[in-house]
Amino acid sequence: MAKYILKRLGYIIIVFFLLSILLFGIFKMVPGDPARLMVEGQKQSVSPEQYEMLYQQARVRLGLDKPIPVQYLSWMGNILQGDFGYSTVYRIPVKELIGPPMKNTIALNVVYYIFLFAIGIPLGIKCAVKKDTVFDTSLQVATMIGISIPSFISALIFIYLFAIKIPIFPISGMVTTGANFTGFRAFLDYLYHMALPIIVCLTGIGGLIRYVRGALLDALSMDYVRTARAKGLKEKTVIYKHAFRNAMIPITGWIVGSIVGIFGGAVIIETLFSWKGVGKLLIDSLNQHDYTVALSMQMFYILLGLAANLITDLCYCIVDPRIKLD
Amino acid sequence: MLFGKKKEKEQRSVLEEEQMQSPFRTIIKNLLENKLAMGGLIVFVSIFAMCFILPIWFHQDLNYQDPTQKNIAPGFSFLSVPSDLKNNAEVIEFGPTYGVGVDKDGYVYEWGQLTKNLKKIPADMGKVVDIAVGQDHVLAINDKGNLYTWGFNRMGLNVIPPELKGKKIADIEAGYQVSVVVTEDGKVVSWGNTSAVDISTANVKDEKVKEVKANIQTAIALTKDGKVISLAKKETALDNVPEEIQGKVEKIALTDKAAAAVLKDGTVKVWGNNHDHIFSVPEEVQGKAVDISGGRNHLVVVTEDGNAVAWGGNENKQATVPAKASNIAKLTSGYYQNCIIKEDGSVVTWGLKGYLLGTDNLGRNVFYRILKGGQMTMTVGFIAVIIQFAIGILVGGISGYYGGTVDILLMRLSEVVGSLPFIPLALILSALIGNKVSDVGRIIMIMLILGFLGWTGIAGLVRAQVLAERNKEFVVAAKALGVREKNIIFRHIVPNVMTIIIVQATISFATCMLTESGLSFLGFGVAEPIPSWGNMLNNCRSSEVISQYWWRWVFPSVVLGLCTVSINLFGDGLRRAVDPKANER
Repeated sequence: MAKYILKRLGYIIIVFFLLSILLFGIFKMVPGDPARLMVEGQKQSVSPEQYEMLYQQARVRLGLDKPIPVQYLSWMGNILQGDFGYSTVYRIPVKELIGPPMKNTIALNVVYYIFLFAIGIPLGIKCAVKKDTVFDTSLQVATMIGISIPSFISALIFIYLFAIKIPIFPISGMVTTGANFTGFRAFLDYLYHMALPIIVCLTGIGGLIRYVRGALLDALSMDYVRTARAKGLKEKTVIYKHAFRNAMIPITGWIVGSIVGIFGGAVIIETLFSWKGVGKLLIDSLNQHDYTVALSMQMFYILLGLAANLITDLCYCIVDPRIKLD
Repeated sequence: MLFGKKKEKEQRSVLEEEQMQSPFRTIIKNLLENKLAMGGLIVFVSIFAMCFILPIWFHQDLNYQDPTQKNIAPGFSFLSVPSDLKNNAEVIEFGPTYGVGVDKDGYVYEWGQLTKNLKKIPADMGKVVDIAVGQDHVLAINDKGNLYTWGFNRMGLNVIPPELKGKKIADIEAGYQVSVVVTEDGKVVSWGNTSAVDISTANVKDEKVKEVKANIQTAIALTKDGKVISLAKKETALDNVPEEIQGKVEKIALTDKAAAAVLKDGTVKVWGNNHDHIFSVPEEVQGKAVDISGGRNHLVVVTEDGNAVAWGGNENKQATVPAKASNIAKLTSGYYQNCIIKEDGSVVTWGLKGYLLGTDNLGRNVFYRILKGGQMTMTVGFIAVIIQFAIGILVGGISGYYGGTVDILLMRLSEVVGSLPFIPLALILSALIGNKVSDVGRIIMIMLILGFLGWTGIAGLVRAQVLAERNKEFVVAAKALGVREKNIIFRHIVPNVMTIIIVQATISFATCMLTESGLSFLGFGVAEPIPSWGNMLNNCRSSEVISQYWWRWVFPSVVLGLCTVSINLFGDGLRRAVDPKANER
């Protein structure tokens, strides 16, 4: 087990470095000179010679005078020491810039996952138990439609219905403007602004429902379920004690894999609802050509993806002793 | 319900018929019996056919923009002259999306798409004798010579200048957001938004003006002694009035960039900028013309025998004169609409009726953009799936057949690609590379990104299938015959697992369409002016658009939603048909 984890970690590190070289190369190809951007403001006030000098100084300060491999090494070295560079737009360290959006994203995702699991798992179980009834079939069609409709369309529909036609929710943003709530009232206001984005995200709940349904149906077709029924056990016991416990194996993997996702913002939803999370930060930094931020965030997303993969595999191994890792 | 009772019968029939039916026919039969899947297929095929066939007849330049036609709601009411007016009309004038008419009793009618202010017709006008219509305001004059104006009321447009008090009025005209009045003694007075329509009355200070014509940018005047004078402050192509016609002009008309005059001898002369073949005056009207009128890009002439002839732009059928247009008493054209009042007072109209699904913020036809956007979204999705398919089969096939180190390496690669966060990576690649390439290059890039990041699902599926098949007799037989390994994998094994791959590809197609739309919606996919279903929604995020201009987001959303839902329903049905055992789960 320990050997396996070490092996996977080593592999994550290799992949991470390869991708970082690739991304760094792509970012270096981008037109636009950050050093020029830095001294642009002084162009009018100083003489051309001084301007050229300032520009060269800025290049040295940003390390742009060195060859690209050296630039990469110093960039990587800084990242490993926790220094992600400066945002060219906000002029503060990326680390500080990412803090508040990260909190917002985590808050939104935590509430979302609570609702997702609280609604999705019971519905999935019910579908499996009542397989091929009207309830199941209609929910299958409904979830199919929910999965097929992209989040921005459901967002537009929900904004139209519940923020414009029947204005019960705010259209976008995170706080009521000009209200200046404090304490618990501010927290409630925050949750209130979270409601519509979460409802829109929940239109994609069909994925979880179908997954749970499939896992439970797989378990219900097993021989031990037939044995349990033959023993005359109550149907409830058969389903929840025998089948569902076994169905939990794939479901747990799914849950753990997605929980790693709470750090990654839903780009489209956050942009649409002006929710200042990491997804919106990524879009904004790309739109404002703030590539230091975009690059750091991309590395963060990649790390997140690779970590989710490893954690899911480990989780399968823990909940199901039959699975052997090698 | 749908599957519940029927299923047991179905199952039996599958088992029985498998013995005498080829698997392929069983799949088709299963599929045909699944109503949802067939419904999905029919909906998708109709949307597909619509998007690829209709634009053959129906064409619009993708770079076309027209501010006068922006944000028009769906409907065909521009030419719906009220029945009360139809046989009793005195004057009819057109605005960009509406019409205003006066009947012989001086009562004013309005139809088409009217703003709130336009609907507020002043009640106390008495008997109206003439009207003039601008972008969204109306100017009217009654039999006592009093002026009235309503509609768009900013830029001072609603204030009739005091110098007109008590003056007798000879002609009224309304331009984009400007009103022009000619008094009986030949003076011109104008007011309104002078920055949009840049005209000056100084050019005609010493002339006695008979009438003025305005388009959306400028205006020209015709004096009582038959001279044409441009009212533009800045130099325009309309200033170059041909010298030989000065003093002989009877009637004038304006299009967007050209002016036309009917001379005393009945010939027609056009000058300005030649657009939409506007300079090609039909030979049959030369020497016979008595009246002329102009729209945005077409001209209509009435000949001395009372018939109408039109030429110029015809994309809205504005230059296609209907056969019943004879015995003409009065002709008016405005924007893309035309109207003829016959000698018996009846009305004939032709030109732009409206837009099936409305227009967007740049005046582009939403219906046409949905068709073109559908072509784009489906093409991008299709080619992306082909790329996924090719890489997936190659990687999965090799990996599954050879096993060992090759398998481990390829599956690791697939795992890495699969765990890359898709949307952020696609956003960054599109932002970084997209700026440097052309529009078409950008679209190709989107296809490549979708293809190269999304093949892992298919690869895994193919690998599993190949693993299951590779020890079967037919593979052993092929090996014994000395068939090359490459051919064993791709000629013998892969065709056997093709059905399952096709199911996966169907669902991938819907996913690719969704991802492309998502990227375009965020502004990182297909770029304007080329439409895609996603980027049509890009500028519909504000609450103003969502609530007031609903047609701009509802129709693209409905089509995209219908399309992906139907593909997924079909894919689901296909999966059930290919693998009937999945039904038992």
